[in-house]
Amino acid sequence: MPPTSPLDAASAAAPVPPGRRPLVALVGPPNSGKSTLFNRLTGLRQKVANYPGVTVEKHVGRIVLDGGAELDLVDLPGVNGFSARTLDERVTRDVLEGRTGLPSPDAIVLIVDVTRLEAQLMLCEPILEVGVPTLLVLNMADELERRGGDLDERVLARELEVDVVRAAARTGRGLDRVHTFLHHVHQRGPLPERPSPAVSNTPARGVALPTVDAFARRRRHVERVTALAGYRRAGPSRLTERLDSVLLHRVFGPLTFLAVVLLVFQAIFTWATPLMDGVEWLVATSGGWIGGALPDGWVRSLLVDGVWAGVGSVLVFLPQILILFLFLGILEDSGYMARAAVIADRLMYRVGLQGRAFLPLLSAYACAIPAILSARTVEDERDRLATIFVAPFMTCSARLPVYALLIAAFIPEGPILGPFLGARAATLLGLYLLGALAAIVTAWILKRTLLRGEPSAFVMELPSYRIPSLRSLGLRLLERTRIFLRRAGRIILGVTVVLWVLTQVPAQNGAAPPIEESVLGRAGQVVEPVIAPLGFDWKIGIGLISSLAAREVIVGTLGTLAGVDDAGEDSLELQEALQEQLDLGGALALLVFFAFALQCLSTVAVMRRETAGWKWPILQFSYMLALAWIGAFIVNRLV
Amino acid sequence: MSDKPDAERKLPVVSEVPGDLRLADIPLRETVELVRFDLPAGQVESLLERGMLPGCSVCPVRRSPSGDPIVSIDGSLLALRREMAGCICVRRLTDPDL
Repeated sequence: MPPTSPLDAASAAAPVPPGRRPLVALVGPPNSGKSTLFNRLTGLRQKVANYPGVTVEKHVGRIVLDGGAELDLVDLPGVNGFSARTLDERVTRDVLEGRTGLPSPDAIVLIVDVTRLEAQLMLCEPILEVGVPTLLVLNMADELERRGGDLDERVLARELEVDVVRAAARTGRGLDRVHTFLHHVHQRGPLPERPSPAVSNTPARGVALPTVDAFARRRRHVERVTALAGYRRAGPSRLTERLDSVLLHRVFGPLTFLAVVLLVFQAIFTWATPLMDGVEWLVATSGGWIGGALPDGWVRSLLVDGVWAGVGSVLVFLPQILILFLFLGILEDSGYMARAAVIADRLMYRVGLQGRAFLPLLSAYACAIPAILSARTVEDERDRLATIFVAPFMTCSARLPVYALLIAAFIPEGPILGPFLGARAATLLGLYLLGALAAIVTAWILKRTLLRGEPSAFVMELPSYRIPSLRSLGLRLLERTRIFLRRAGRIILGVTVVLWVLTQVPAQNGAAPPIEESVLGRAGQVVEPVIAPLGFDWKIGIGLISSLAAREVIVGTLGTLAGVDDAGEDSLELQEALQEQLDLGGALALLVFFAFALQCLSTVAVMRRETAGWKWPILQFSYMLALAWIGAFIVNRLV
Repeated sequence: MSDKPDAERKLPVVSEVPGDLRLADIPLRETVELVRFDLPAGQVESLLERGMLPGCSVCPVRRSPSGDPIVSIDGSLLALRREMAGCICVRRLTDPDL
């Protein structure tokens, strides 16, 4: 191995902090196969945490080499540069500079897509300025060779003064050379403490240059090096050209786009339903067993009605979330998602958003939480804020049971468009459109008030189409599910238990009080004057409060209040009880209320994390509540 | 959008004077050389980071369904908005000035 950095000599002499595994940073542009390599190297030994103060996920995995040597590998977000314009770029810079709580990296693995070598090598110079041993992985070498490209990586290594390996992370080619590099890093051990380097788009040394000139100079260097290495570009990917001529076609492009959106909808609603019913049944049955095994009393009630019900309301979303993530994963890894963003961009630009907001907003139809998390890919900060602000207006799956119950109880079935559209389906469709409309109008207003500014840039890289690898899909599915469960699960479970406690106090003769005399019941009566103009009584008030855990909880609460056992959205008994409680105006008002209100504390918590403060979640919650109240009031008056 | 910076309001003028020809005016499949950007610094940086640099060869290869340009640069495909492409000055490779 050639000497890779001036620090080699220093590290041999200086004392090394004992007991720490060497830390290797994995850096690369988006779509360079970075995550594939990360998964190859670490397998299931990864964990996800958050960087302090910022919201970008920190992926750290453990590498175990042959012979048991261990290193830590941190997978940095895909970046094209270090301007620190985006969250991802800021985090990458901070990790490389050793300012995130992690030690400064002891080595760097820079992975690039060798079919686009010149543009991707622009990252090389700022990375080398960090001054630690660096391995350059020329990924997708198989594709380069197949498409008639070539280069001499030894010349590249000599000119750039780094180790270079030709690789294909998908098939595992070149992995042995990466392991060799990591062995060397391990033998050398962690580097001693040193002043943090500064990582940026403009070089740290020499005369400060305007950014354009800095890039131009770096570019000339890259061109010289690649020419010396005899780099022959890959010919155009025929597959990509052929697919794009259909998928970005003036007519077929939008049609395919619509078909894909409908497919995702179909999957998360129709295909997930039997699975969700299964989970519901499992939770109810197992709750019954637990209840049967325990003596009657508050412990049983806490476990069955509090904890178990809370776990159940989290788990019931799981099949849908898994299917959503699976589809999004396929769309992303195949390269179609970038095309979808391009097709959606013009439409979203009109309302003040951009094409990258398409994926989060589509996800929001399943659940706002993964939607808000995935909005990190929206580069412009104002666009990202606008996107996550309006995402909860999309009709998430937790609203469906509420809609289903109220529509079944109050909307008589009848044809509206002959056999094609019945009154009930039309109502449901109307509620979906209402949510989308609110999102559009809100985004439009936001971009003219709080988030106004220069129009953002939209530059979307269209990667070559690839067949997604099952391994990557599976690992990502696991990881995203874990994040969802942690973010949404804890809050839903916590709120459910708190609500259970509020139904239990103040105890009467050592037993739980009738619900109208419990603290929760009193709270329902307290809010009654506020919601009376909407046509709601105190029982609905209790339902609204309890639905803050998760919207669909209101179905169970209303069931309890009506004295109905096993209340579900298709329970006829519950529908009859509701018909006595609400008139048509009140029912429609309740539907509109749920379409607008942010009845979901998990979303509020995630918003707080993603915006690093309370300002946005409070604003969002109040705005949506105000809109819900006004909307419900108008509907109640009109009907 | 009503609040565009001045640079974006300018109508692209088709002309052979270097610097006045915009990427948005180039027909599909014609390779041109990028000259400079009439864009705010933040937008320029996001182009620079993706390999769009003065002196590079750019070629519009396709239009998106909404008519926005998709250009090829160093084997990468980049989708832009036509407003942005209207602020990127280019030069024909066959220009007599060259």
